[in-house]
Amino acid sequence: MAPAAQFEAAQPPKDAISSLVFSPFASRRMLVSSWDKNVYLYEVADGAEEANLVGTFTHRAPVMDVCFGADDNEAFLAGMDHQVNRLNLTTGEQTVMSTHGAPVRCVVYSSEHSLLISASWDSTLHVHSTRNPSQKPLSIPLPGKPHALAASPTKLVVAMTARLVHIYDLPTLTSTLSSPNPQQPPQPWQQRESSLKFLTRAVACMPNDAGYSTSSIEGRVAVEWFEDSAESQARKYAFKCHRQAAPEEEGGGDVVYPVNALAFHPVYGTFASGGGDGTVALWDAEAKRRMRQYQKFPESVAALAFSSDGRFLAIGVSPGFETGMEDYSGEGRTKVFVRELGETEAKGKGAK
Amino acid sequence: MGKKKRGHPDVEELLSRPWCYYCERDFEDLKLLISHQKAKHFKCDRCGKRLNTAGGLSVHMNQVHKENLTTVENALPNRQGLDIEIFGMEGVPEDIIQQHNQRIIQNFYTAQAERQAATGNPPRGLSGGQGPAKKLKYETPEELKKRLADHRAKVAAQKAAGVSGVPVAAAPADGQSPAQGASPFPPPQPGYPYPVPGAVPPYPAAQTYPPTTAAFPPGAAPPAGATAPFPLPARPPSGPAAAAGAPPYFYNGGAGGAPPPGYPGGGAPSTVDELVANAARQGAGGDDIDQMIRLAEAGIKPGAGRNAADEAGAGEKRKKGSRMVYGDTEVSPEEKMAMLPRYRWVEGAAA
Repeated sequence: MAPAAQFEAAQPPKDAISSLVFSPFASRRMLVSSWDKNVYLYEVADGAEEANLVGTFTHRAPVMDVCFGADDNEAFLAGMDHQVNRLNLTTGEQTVMSTHGAPVRCVVYSSEHSLLISASWDSTLHVHSTRNPSQKPLSIPLPGKPHALAASPTKLVVAMTARLVHIYDLPTLTSTLSSPNPQQPPQPWQQRESSLKFLTRAVACMPNDAGYSTSSIEGRVAVEWFEDSAESQARKYAFKCHRQAAPEEEGGGDVVYPVNALAFHPVYGTFASGGGDGTVALWDAEAKRRMRQYQKFPESVAALAFSSDGRFLAIGVSPGFETGMEDYSGEGRTKVFVRELGETEAKGKGAK
Repeated sequence: MGKKKRGHPDVEELLSRPWCYYCERDFEDLKLLISHQKAKHFKCDRCGKRLNTAGGLSVHMNQVHKENLTTVENALPNRQGLDIEIFGMEGVPEDIIQQHNQRIIQNFYTAQAERQAATGNPPRGLSGGQGPAKKLKYETPEELKKRLADHRAKVAAQKAAGVSGVPVAAAPADGQSPAQGASPFPPPQPGYPYPVPGAVPPYPAAQTYPPTTAAFPPGAAPPAGATAPFPLPARPPSGPAAAAGAPPYFYNGGAGGAPPPGYPGGGAPSTVDELVANAARQGAGGDDIDQMIRLAEAGIKPGAGRNAADEAGAGEKRKKGSRMVYGDTEVSPEEKMAMLPRYRWVEGAAA
């Protein structure tokens, strides 16, 4: 088997990467949002081992998150300026979808339900129906600041401070929105406490709608299932990763890195984790095994995404923000790598 | 460890030791060298498999992990290449061998000269043939006194710093006794690491050592001469393989007594200068001033040793609570970044 190829995108963002997503459609477009206030649109070339910059869209404040909308030419971005914007990738035109009371941390779009959901540090979720753009967004108060957001075909997982995890049912949100007078904000479908003891860093949902995984700042990843049966809940587990043995001279022990990024493979259901140690690992959630660990990247892994066909894994790296940093800049050290996976590289072996 | 204990191996012996191309360490025999290379340089960091060569590891990485190996791990910066196939001593380029031998020879003569300068002894019969000391350095009484004064200052400083809890003052007081003639048996040198735990007695306190050589019965002491620093003392042991593979480098992590101060593996970070100074002091064997200095050192050592041990203990504790790169459990890194002037959003500023 030919060794898998890895290449670097030309013209990487000028500052740290906040998010990176592949188009959920057949194309190989990839959006990267950055702290340098830009959204970058790349396209992985057909056949050639390169990813080219197709467009750059400048926002007025750092962009915290980005996602694709209803098609390849629509995107939504979450801004430090409290705004959620719709971005037309053909014209570059931006329209404000909603305004929060604090910077917007995450934004996701559920194409199944035509819902745009944004989470902000003002501790609210805003839910829009893109079928009815003129309608005011539904605001759902949260018990804590959200840090990560992910949607599966029917569920929405919100991870907050104080290890809170709320799971919303997307069809319920749709029906609440479409009811003539949404008086009461919908209750979460499930309220959970994170299986991890530390601040949640990332959430990703299984493509088969069965569950999700979360990661924390303390080098750990948890895998859980939605189904609320004792059996299903007994299946959940967590494991340590993204740690390095400290040199003996420094007292030994482990240096523990945050796990900044999680992404499920759309076809095989395995998932990748990216950590502050600059490594990316592929895990088989069923078999509870690590399948691969890739050689270290030059900086902390900030974001990860699989292409819709699962052939490519994009890895955004920027310097990690560590405890005690007074200043920070991702300038010149931010890069986007794309790894073309071998046929079975991300295929799990199934439960053992 | 029933090893031969002849003090300073002669230069031929040193040159004949197998050594590792990647890190320049030398070993007792080829088997140890090969196991060192497998453990340190040819071990797969993904699955821990040990291969025989860098090429083998490269193929393994490629086939099993679908990755390309670019460098040899733990190698010196200019020896990381995969282009040279090394197995034990096979495959080492001739010029590198020459370079290595030269280094060994140079270190040997430097160490020998230092020893001679320190002891005033003529070169040993064994090595005399090949290495007539060209510049024998004798310390004049003035120099010795100066060294003593320096040492006292150091002791005082250490005492002031609270490092030593034992009556070190006793030793300097005895220091007035004049030099008496060289002792045939260099006393045990606490600063120097021994693989045999029993050979490093925990020095209880200074006063238990009367200021005479009789305190060191030759039988209890390690055989004479075995104590001089090996010409490569500065390389710290790295990892368990080092301990297992190379007994001369002593690494018992504080078991069986305090780790010797001044040794790089110990708790206290020691500079090269200190090491050199220690080596010089240890190399000095024989007259009473040195004896007295050593006594003073012995007086200090339990204190210093305890400190080192304490530090090691702290290290153990830290081991349990490992260090987190990002430790705030309430505020995310993004929130902290958002507060930096560089990224901060001020409503109205740009609107």
